[in-house]
Amino acid sequence: MICKNKFPRLRYLGLTRGSMMQSLAFRMSTLVTILGNVVYLIIIYYLWKAIYASSPVASVNGMTFSDTMIYLVLASALFNFMNCFIIWGMGRDFQSGQFVLYLLKPMDYQVFWFFSTSGQYIISFFTTFLPTFVIVYIITKGSFALGVNLIVFIISVCISVMINFFIDFFVGTICLYTQSIWGVNIMKEVVVALLSGATIPLAFFPDKLHAFANLLPFQAIYNAPLQILIDRSLDGKDYLTMLGKQFFWVIVMLVISRCFWNLSKRVITVNGG
Amino acid sequence: MSDSIIKVEHITKEFKILNHREGVKGMVRDLFSRDYHMLTAVNDVCMEIKQGEIVGYLGPNGSGKSTTIKMMTGVLEPTSGTIMVNGRIPYKNRAKNAEEIGVVFGQRTQLWWALPAMESFKILKEIYRIPNKDFKDNLEYFDALIGAGELYGKTVRQMSLGQRILCDILASFLHNPGVVFLDEPTIGLDVSIKSKIRELIKELNKEKGTTVILTTHDMGDVDALCKRIIIIDKGSILYDNTIENLRSYFGAYRTIKLSFQKNSAGLAAQDTYEVEKLLHTAFPNAKSLNVRGDEDWTEILLNEDEITMMQVLNIIQEKKNITDMMLQEISTESVIKKIYEGGVQ
Repeated sequence: MICKNKFPRLRYLGLTRGSMMQSLAFRMSTLVTILGNVVYLIIIYYLWKAIYASSPVASVNGMTFSDTMIYLVLASALFNFMNCFIIWGMGRDFQSGQFVLYLLKPMDYQVFWFFSTSGQYIISFFTTFLPTFVIVYIITKGSFALGVNLIVFIISVCISVMINFFIDFFVGTICLYTQSIWGVNIMKEVVVALLSGATIPLAFFPDKLHAFANLLPFQAIYNAPLQILIDRSLDGKDYLTMLGKQFFWVIVMLVISRCFWNLSKRVITVNGG
Repeated sequence: MSDSIIKVEHITKEFKILNHREGVKGMVRDLFSRDYHMLTAVNDVCMEIKQGEIVGYLGPNGSGKSTTIKMMTGVLEPTSGTIMVNGRIPYKNRAKNAEEIGVVFGQRTQLWWALPAMESFKILKEIYRIPNKDFKDNLEYFDALIGAGELYGKTVRQMSLGQRILCDILASFLHNPGVVFLDEPTIGLDVSIKSKIRELIKELNKEKGTTVILTTHDMGDVDALCKRIIIIDKGSILYDNTIENLRSYFGAYRTIKLSFQKNSAGLAAQDTYEVEKLLHTAFPNAKSLNVRGDEDWTEILLNEDEITMMQVLNIIQEKKNITDMMLQEISTESVIKKIYEGGVQ
C-alpha cells in the first residue's frame, strides 16, 4: 500500500521539476514580465494619485492612498505570478492536435497540466511576487504586520493558485469548441481582473456590485490572500472564515472543471479532435 | 490465437461533418446550421497482429490510417466493432492501455522543448513508473546501439529534426511497451539518418520483441523493416499479406531502363515521347505498358504475361540507338502505386 501511494507522488513531482527548469530556461520572459509590471504600476500610481487629489478627505471608502497602493501593487504582483498562460497553452494544444500526445500518457490531462505548470508557479512566486512584496515592505517602512498572517497568507495563496488553475482549465477547455484562443482569453482576463478586485479594490465597488462579486469565485483568488496579508484588524476567526470560503470555491471549481473536461473528452473520443 | 497482441474486428468509424456553405453569408448561416452529413472514415476493418511483428500500415493521405491508429491507441472510440490491444479495449481503459503502448508522431514531439532530452526521459520515467534498473539499462542500451548518449544532454530545441525524432523514438521505447505505433517516423529526414532510424527500429524490435505498427509514405522504410503490409484506402483494407506475396503478384512486371544516344536537340523528353508512341502503336493491347523518363533514362514498365522484354527491345532498337540498358524487378514503390491507383481488385 505504501508503495502504491508513493508512486503517484513521484510521478507528479517529475513534472514540477521539469516545469521549474523550463521556466528558468526562459529568463528573458521573466524579465519582460517584471518590466511590464513596473510600467503598469507607474500608471496606476498616477491614476490613483489623481483620484485621491480630487477627494476632499484623505481616506476614500475607508482606504488611504497608501492602503490602496499597497493593495494594488501586491494584487498586480499576485496576478502576474499566477498568470501561467494555461489557456494559451491548452488552446494551442487543441489547435495543433498536440494534446493527443498527452491523452496517450497514462495520466489524467488535468493533473498533467496542473503539475506541469506547478514549477512555473513556484518559480514565478520567487521572481515576481516576492521581490515586489519585499520592495513594498521596505518603501512603506513596514506598514503591514509580519506574523501569523504570513503563514495564513501562504496557505491562502496556495488555494488561490488552485482556484485560478481550475478557472483557467475550465476556460481553456472552452477553446476546444471555439478553436479561438484570443477572444476567450481576453474575456476571462477582463472578468477576473475586475471582479476579483485585482484592478480596483472591492471596497470601491458600489454596494450591489460588491455583493455580487462576493458571490463569485474570483474574489477568492486575490482579495482573500491580500486582505489576510494587509488588514491588521482581522483575527483568527476571520482567517478561518476566509480560508473556508476559499476552500469552498476550490471544491466547486474543481468539480465544475472536471465535469466539463470529462464531457469534452467524450466529445473528442466520439467525434475526433 | 493467444499470441496476437492486437485484434481488430469489423471496426467502423463515422464522423459527423457540418455541411459548409460558401462565402461570408454562408459562414454566418453555418453558425446556426444543423445540416450534417456522415463521413465514414474507416469501414469494416479487420486485422490481427502478432506479438513481435513489424507491420507496415500504408495508404494514401486521407485513407483512414490515422483514424485507425487513434482507435487502437484509445483516443477515438469506434462507431461499431471491437478492438483489443494487449487484451484490453483501448478506449475504455485509455490510461491503462497507454502504459503498455508507445506512440511517435514524426511531426510532433513528446519531449520538453526547452529541456535536455535526459530531463524529458526522467519525467517519462516517473509518469510510466519505470523501475530504476530498466531505465538505466535502456539508456545504456540505446547508447550502445546508436551512440545516443551524446544526445541525452542536448536541449531538444537545439536538436536537428533527425536527432529529435531519434530521441522521440527512444522515449517511446523507454517503458518497454508491448506495442509501438510509429506514424511517419522518417518524414523529412536525410538518407543517413533514415537508415539509422530503420536500424534502430529493427534492432529494438528484435531485441525486445516489441510489436511495431509503422505508417509511412517512404517505401524504403517498408523494404527495410516490414515483412507484412496492410494497405488501406477510402477506409477499407485493400491488402493484408506479406510483401513477397505482393511482389509475386506483380512478379511478371519488369522495368527496363534505357539510355539513348543524344538526339540533335539533346532532349531526353523527346526520346521518351518517341518510345511511348512507338510502343503504343506496336502493342495497342498491352494495358500494363507504361513509359516515363527523366534526364538520363527512359523507363518502361511492362508485364511479361502480355509482352516480352525482347519484343519491346526489338521494336525500339530498330528506330533508336540504345547506348545503355538496365533491367529491374518492380520496386515496392511501383507496386504500392499500382494498388493505390486501383491495380488490384
